[in-house]
Amino acid sequence: MFSLNPQTRKKLQRFRKIKRGYYSFLLLAGLGVMLAFGELLINSRALIVSYQGELYFPTYTDFHPGTDFGLDYTYETNYRELQALFQEQGEGNWVLLPLVPYNPYENHAPGGIFRPLPPDAAEQHYLGTDTTSRDILARLFYGTRIALVFALVFTACVYLIGITIGCAMGYFGGVFDLVFQRIIEIWSNVPFLYMVIIIFSVIPSSVAVTTRIGILLLVMVLFSWTGMTYYMRTETYKEKSRDYIASARVIGASNTRIIFRHIMPNVLSTLVTFMPFTIVAAISAITALDFLGFGLPAPTPSLGELLKQGTANLRTAPWIVISAFGTLVALLTLVTFIGEAIRESFDPKTFSVYR
Amino acid sequence: MKQPLPTLFLASLVLLLGGCGQAENDGTREASNAAQEAATGAAVDAEVEAFYAANPDFFGFKTLADLPPGLEWTSNEHLPEIGSPEARKGGTQYGALQDFPRTLRTVGPDSNGGFRPFLLDDVGMTLTHQHPETLELYPGLAESWAVDWENQTVYAKLDPAATWSDGQPITADDYLFMFWFYRSPYIMAPWYNNFYSTKYTNISRYDDHTISISMAERKPDMDELGLLLRPVPRHFYRQMDEDFSEHYQWEFEPTPGPYIVRDQDIRKGRSIALTRLENWWARDKKHWRYRFNPDRIQLSVIRDAAKMFEAFKRGDLDQFGLGLAEYWYEKLPDSDPDVQAGYIHKTVFYNQRPRPPFGLWINTAQPLLDNRDIRIGIGHATNWDMVIEKFFRGDNERLDTANDGFGEFSHPTLKAREFDLAKAQEHFARAGFSRRGADGILVNDAGQKLSFNLSTGYETMRDVLTILRQEAAKAGLDLRLEILDGTVGWKQVQEKQHDISFLAFGRFLEEYPRFWEHYHSDNAWDRAFLEDGSVNPDRQPKTQTNNLEAFALLEMDQLIERYRASSDRDEMIALSHQMIALHHEHASFVPGFYQGFFRVGHWRWVRYPEGFSYKHSDGPGELFVHWIDTEMKEETLAARRTGKTFPPSITVYDQWAE
Repeated sequence: MFSLNPQTRKKLQRFRKIKRGYYSFLLLAGLGVMLAFGELLINSRALIVSYQGELYFPTYTDFHPGTDFGLDYTYETNYRELQALFQEQGEGNWVLLPLVPYNPYENHAPGGIFRPLPPDAAEQHYLGTDTTSRDILARLFYGTRIALVFALVFTACVYLIGITIGCAMGYFGGVFDLVFQRIIEIWSNVPFLYMVIIIFSVIPSSVAVTTRIGILLLVMVLFSWTGMTYYMRTETYKEKSRDYIASARVIGASNTRIIFRHIMPNVLSTLVTFMPFTIVAAISAITALDFLGFGLPAPTPSLGELLKQGTANLRTAPWIVISAFGTLVALLTLVTFIGEAIRESFDPKTFSVYR
Repeated sequence: MKQPLPTLFLASLVLLLGGCGQAENDGTREASNAAQEAATGAAVDAEVEAFYAANPDFFGFKTLADLPPGLEWTSNEHLPEIGSPEARKGGTQYGALQDFPRTLRTVGPDSNGGFRPFLLDDVGMTLTHQHPETLELYPGLAESWAVDWENQTVYAKLDPAATWSDGQPITADDYLFMFWFYRSPYIMAPWYNNFYSTKYTNISRYDDHTISISMAERKPDMDELGLLLRPVPRHFYRQMDEDFSEHYQWEFEPTPGPYIVRDQDIRKGRSIALTRLENWWARDKKHWRYRFNPDRIQLSVIRDAAKMFEAFKRGDLDQFGLGLAEYWYEKLPDSDPDVQAGYIHKTVFYNQRPRPPFGLWINTAQPLLDNRDIRIGIGHATNWDMVIEKFFRGDNERLDTANDGFGEFSHPTLKAREFDLAKAQEHFARAGFSRRGADGILVNDAGQKLSFNLSTGYETMRDVLTILRQEAAKAGLDLRLEILDGTVGWKQVQEKQHDISFLAFGRFLEEYPRFWEHYHSDNAWDRAFLEDGSVNPDRQPKTQTNNLEAFALLEMDQLIERYRASSDRDEMIALSHQMIALHHEHASFVPGFYQGFFRVGHWRWVRYPEGFSYKHSDGPGELFVHWIDTEMKEETLAARRTGKTFPPSITVYDQWAE
């Protein structure tokens, strides 16, 4: 049903014509691919290790203790030191490291002291390090990945709930509509930030980081689905009173069929236009929460946490805030450009303000 | 024209009457207030008198003739003065608080906050005070005193000149009242209730200005226990009931000290100010006359430490603690223009006092952590040397036991467990953790990961924990970090919900360490042991105590009892060493680091005496020996505009370095 009918194809063609949005989309898609395979680009684990004629690919496997490569320790191999060692020994062993050979959690202090280091290409800290000598590029990269995944899942969940309830309200109307409207009014008046703070203060600390992120997601979804319902409700109301719905009903189509085959495709443009802005809102929200200290649990890399560090060290380490702020602005601008392009291309009127 | 006049007249009459009514109302309200106060005051008097009468052993009413003969009265005349004769009174000192005080009470709920030093600890007065150089006593509210070791009693002659800040004289009655007050249930302070009913056995009044106080135990510091008491103004507490904490929430208690808080200076949530009493009764007394110099101490609320520092750099705050290396080396380096121009002075002062035990407090009541091998492994897997080297830049020292800095009472030879991966792994293996999982973390045969929560309430110490985590992973130990808000972190350990907590307790300037609160089984479990001395299988953790390690050993309990009962200094020292060694053996505490100094950045108009501070002082402001040079302030501010500079001043006072 969402397959490419001529209408949709036309819309997509119009989207391609809006260069700003289209290129933003390509950029973001490229970034998405990079993020998906991020471990190959920014990671402390080597891509390939050739040791005594055997090849190792440690990136996605279990950890290799130092003893695997003839070192004297049993914890995870430090591949940067291994590379230097192999070069020194000159026995034909070699290590291929990713572009940025750091992971977002490790403290790498070239000067021996943990402090913010300005961008330094020789040390391969291309954006410098943060206050505990963690590579900023690595933290930004993985922070962005988490934020994007978070935002996508968030959007999917919000849409699922919002569309279901909104459509049902608009389609069935009457008492159901009335009751749900009241419920939504009450629900949307619960202060979101307080709820996050309260809920996180009662979650025991033993809960794993991933679970905590899941809970944060759940809380944010719980307090964000309401906005979507109103749009869906009005759209459904509008469509429902059209003649073609009436005819469908006369033929004897079921409610499910009417909603999914007839109403949904016609309100699609509303859905699609809102999507990028929901994503923007989600990224901003998670960043703001991190900044306030109620977001992703430490030491998860996050944009908000970097921003916080940056503002605390504005004078001594301006590169932290510049990187974090720059990334945030770039990311949100890209998504917004895409959003505007989508809105314009899905607008049935050919000439609109967004040209 | 005839008509408006009567109307006008009528209107003015109504106004006038209204005004009268108002005045009358006020008058009656005041009168009724006074009447009510008199009534509640009488009730308090009755209750206090009844309490005195019911405890005749505790509250003695005697005459001067009852004073034992042959008392050796002293006032330690020989002790040097504190502060500098150059100090000038005047000026306003600007400071900042991270939180607005939650109450102006000094006792009861929420009273133990960061503002208390300004109400009591640093500016209050007690019978005598410890000299910051020698720890000997010098006169405060007592003119002279005598110690009768034999009968465990101290005698004090009160200074007849001493008055409360509201002008009322301070008499023996205020000391008797103090005992009633601190033992009263109304103040909702169980620690006070317990302390003042168990540590003391008697207070006697000989006349308005002579008292004696008897202690329950003849400890080496028995005289201090008696002579460091403070009076409580009986005339102020005229309404003592269940509403105490609410009624006195924002009431400033009259003080014998130099600074008061005026109602008009309390701007809730924003700022609060102390005002110096011009006619303070002790203003010309030796040991007091060169101190407490600023006319006004203005404290604004700045919640963010980074912002506080910016305010200091702007000159809005007079001084800023530079204890963290981040501040000392990065944010205000020696090369900073303001430092180089001599506007801001940087000072390090080495002191000697009991060290706050920064380290890991392991909750032995948690699964796995009840295994001593795992605890020893944790001790060997935490790399404090790296923390000290990389985070504190070598300025701090490694702490060896939880009770360092108590002189002879501290263990002379014991060393903390060193960072050693092989030893750590050996001990973990003994506890069944010998295999590494896919992520490099040790697992046991049951598939359990060697993983614990490491929590703290110190946000500024976040990086310390990051380093520990990183290094512990090498030994196959996973430490999950949990950085909490200060209050939440404290609540967690008080509820005993932590696995491992990184924190330190503030240490008083005391002669010997306290063991009971941290290591006695009474504070760990509701009923730790059965009659025969074996572990009670049904015991429940006891919350709201300072035994954060759930430390319960019968042997330790017995040692603590002996230590508490002992009055022989040498025996106490031996016991102390024994207990510290036992605690070390138990490995439930991983000693971290201590800072042997304090350091501060201050604008040049904040002047300090020669030598800066005193051997046992805790911080630059504690003794109030500094003064604000108002002329110098104007000069500096003008110089800043014109670009004139002064010689830079970066001073290290290491006369007391250990």
